[in-house]
Amino acid sequence: MAVTKTEPINGSTTKSSAPPSTSMPLKSDLLSILSLKSLRLKTKQQELLIRVSILCLVYVLAFITRLFSVLRYESMIHEFDPYFNYRTTLFLTQKGFYEFWNWFDSESWYPLGRIIGGTLYPGLMVTAAMMYWGLRFLRFAVHIREVCVLTAPFFASNTTLVAYFFGKEIWDTGAGLVAAVLIAICPGYISRSVAGSYDNEGVAIFALLLTFYLFVKAVNTGSLAWGLASAFGYFYMVSAWGGYVFIINLIPLYVLALLITGRYSMRLYVAYNCMYVLGMLLAMQIRFVGFQHVQSGEHMAAMGVFFLMQVFYFLDWVKHLLNDKKLFEAFLRITVTCAVGVGAIALGVGTASGYISPWSGRFYSLLDPTYAKDHIPIIASVSEHQPTAWSSFMFDFHILLFLFPAGLYFCFKRLSDATIFIVMYGLTSMYFAGVMVRLILVATPAVCLISAIAVSATIKNLTMLLRTKSKVSQTGSTKGTGGGKTSSKAMLDQSQPFQRNGAIALLFGAFYLLSRYAIHCTWVTSEAYSSPSIVLAARGAHGNRVIFDDYREAYYWLRQNTPPDAKVMSWWDYGYQITAMGNRTVIVDNNTWNNTHIATVGRAMSSYEDEAYEIMRSLDVDYVLVVFGGVTGYSSDDINKFLWMVRIGGGVFPVIKEPDYLVNGEYRVDKVCSPPRV
Amino acid sequence: MAPKPDSHTLAASSSDPSSTSSMDPLLLFLNFLPYSVLRPPRLRLKLPTFTLPSPMTVFSLVLLTYFMVVSGIVYDVIVEPPGIGSAQDPYTGSVKPLVFMPGRVNGQYIIEGLSSGFMFVVGGVGIILMDLALDKNRAKSVKVSYATAGISSVVIAYVMSMLFVRIKIPAYLH
Repeated sequence: MAVTKTEPINGSTTKSSAPPSTSMPLKSDLLSILSLKSLRLKTKQQELLIRVSILCLVYVLAFITRLFSVLRYESMIHEFDPYFNYRTTLFLTQKGFYEFWNWFDSESWYPLGRIIGGTLYPGLMVTAAMMYWGLRFLRFAVHIREVCVLTAPFFASNTTLVAYFFGKEIWDTGAGLVAAVLIAICPGYISRSVAGSYDNEGVAIFALLLTFYLFVKAVNTGSLAWGLASAFGYFYMVSAWGGYVFIINLIPLYVLALLITGRYSMRLYVAYNCMYVLGMLLAMQIRFVGFQHVQSGEHMAAMGVFFLMQVFYFLDWVKHLLNDKKLFEAFLRITVTCAVGVGAIALGVGTASGYISPWSGRFYSLLDPTYAKDHIPIIASVSEHQPTAWSSFMFDFHILLFLFPAGLYFCFKRLSDATIFIVMYGLTSMYFAGVMVRLILVATPAVCLISAIAVSATIKNLTMLLRTKSKVSQTGSTKGTGGGKTSSKAMLDQSQPFQRNGAIALLFGAFYLLSRYAIHCTWVTSEAYSSPSIVLAARGAHGNRVIFDDYREAYYWLRQNTPPDAKVMSWWDYGYQITAMGNRTVIVDNNTWNNTHIATVGRAMSSYEDEAYEIMRSLDVDYVLVVFGGVTGYSSDDINKFLWMVRIGGGVFPVIKEPDYLVNGEYRVDKVCSPPRV
Repeated sequence: MAPKPDSHTLAASSSDPSSTSSMDPLLLFLNFLPYSVLRPPRLRLKLPTFTLPSPMTVFSLVLLTYFMVVSGIVYDVIVEPPGIGSAQDPYTGSVKPLVFMPGRVNGQYIIEGLSSGFMFVVGGVGIILMDLALDKNRAKSVKVSYATAGISSVVIAYVMSMLFVRIKIPAYLH
């Protein structure tokens, strides 16, 4: 699926072709009229037609490649977190926005309850609800579940469009088209945006790329309108995902890089100021974020760079007023020293007085990856938070791993404001992807864009080789083709056919590589990323496919056979699903906001029966849900998660000690068991 | 008049007394006061000038970092897997080395990670060499050798990476 896009060569005339002879009989007149009509399109219009059709095809492709699980099983919500999102969206559509915003949920985290209105990112729910209301307005009687299931693929298609425009902004339209194609099927993105995966990231990646595109456009044009648009894009991102911290740190880093490399300009000033001030004000509208933009250490970089920009502007203005160079240099030194000093003092005072809170554990463990292992076992226990091995990279990126360094090289060759941005985005996101598997998702757009630059530049070089050679051989004179080898024509004439054949062979090679990429992506999507994980499939004894719907059957049993006010205790993984499908109160769920509560449950799970009974009585528990996968060989059941219950419980209650549960330093369930567990 | 300091200090003083064009009384005051008491030493120090490195220098550093990240160095530091794994032959009882960690996608031994990362970087460098081969200002033989090296690097890197993936994930593409 190679996109061999050739730019129209400057100076080429309109398509020259022999008009059909008019002395043909009537039947072929129709044919001739049709061919005449198609010939009437000028090159520019042909190019537009090709581009639009490619984008339409890519849009449809991005949508349908995410539909594997809907076709195989049914249209249902996958995993754990999406069930919470689905429940809140349901509440929003049923009760309205004000009820949603002020919702206090007493059905989860018994007996504490949870202020849902103030502790979630509403972007996803509001988006799905808007689409639902829109469709209802047009009299399409859809169920909210269908809208939720298909939100992520729809936004993935929109992301491909944004990737096209972004590629066009950074490099040229060819790179934009290749970027759209690459990101449509890249497994790194598909893993979190498959149909049924109704999670924040499905919408957030669209918002991320949109914000970045609008900001780069604002920096390139210096227009206030684009700056405003990027602020609103940032607002959408803040409402959608906690990963907005990446944006609010990458953009100041980028501005700093531009300032250091001497690319300060009025455009940058306008773009950054507009985006920062307006974006910050808009972000404070989300209750969950609140005043973090002025209080939290993670957001201080943006504020520091904001003040630095004002200093730069001030210096520029003073330079303009003063005509004396030496005086200005002295003034420059004073001002920069004073500004940095004042900034450092302000930061110090703020941090020491406690007004500026330090980096939260979640984000600090990205900068220092060993932190979570020693200090926060909950963060370390999530399988998505493990560091990345090479095979995960290969699985999610395939040949993009080759094209990424090549694309970086092309960007470094042609440095501009926009390419500096994409390089920084690519490098920082790749580092974070190396720290945590889950963040491969954030790196995917950058990798796709940079690889698209590599593909586009390489294929352009090869086709230039082809076209130069053919033009030289045909016309015998050189036209103004850029990049071709026009230096020594005599040598060119000799090695012409060899180079032409070489170029054709290399084009076929590129086509082969890209088609292997497409095959890999489709295989990975079908095999690895389309499992709903609430319905399990396995191969039976005779090779037939056996479907286990145990989870949902258990939840419906709870729903139908227990009293409505029953409290269910289980490990926190299943909390959202129990609340959404079983409709019963749970003790702890996936939000994991209260470590002590989870540790209490962990302690109950790992103590002797009588101690555990005491704890459960104190929590008013009526039912305990334990997942056991022994007979089917299901590997992620509670027995395998047991050590994490011990660790987390032990983190708060020193009574629970991990070595008590190990035999000879190993964790075994079969014949030899350690006493506290028996 | 104040003695002219011929050193580049960070002092907040203006450099020459021809600043009588400035009307600022504070500046005039600052000009005279410290130097009526102090005498600046004659130093030959120079502030280190900060020159930006060339883009290609930065790019080579970036390539090195990319190699380390994509080889899974963070995984190596945190999980601390052995350099190379071992499996015991069930019949003879001898221990043979196992290069690729079997069983899961997100796990590796150190050597396995480094060799795969190296293959990725070789592939990328191959494409770069192919682009360098099209540069006008080089001798023809150099261009031909760059092109050959580039194409062979890409081919080798791709073939080896596919081989590694097939060894690691036996059910790949089935």
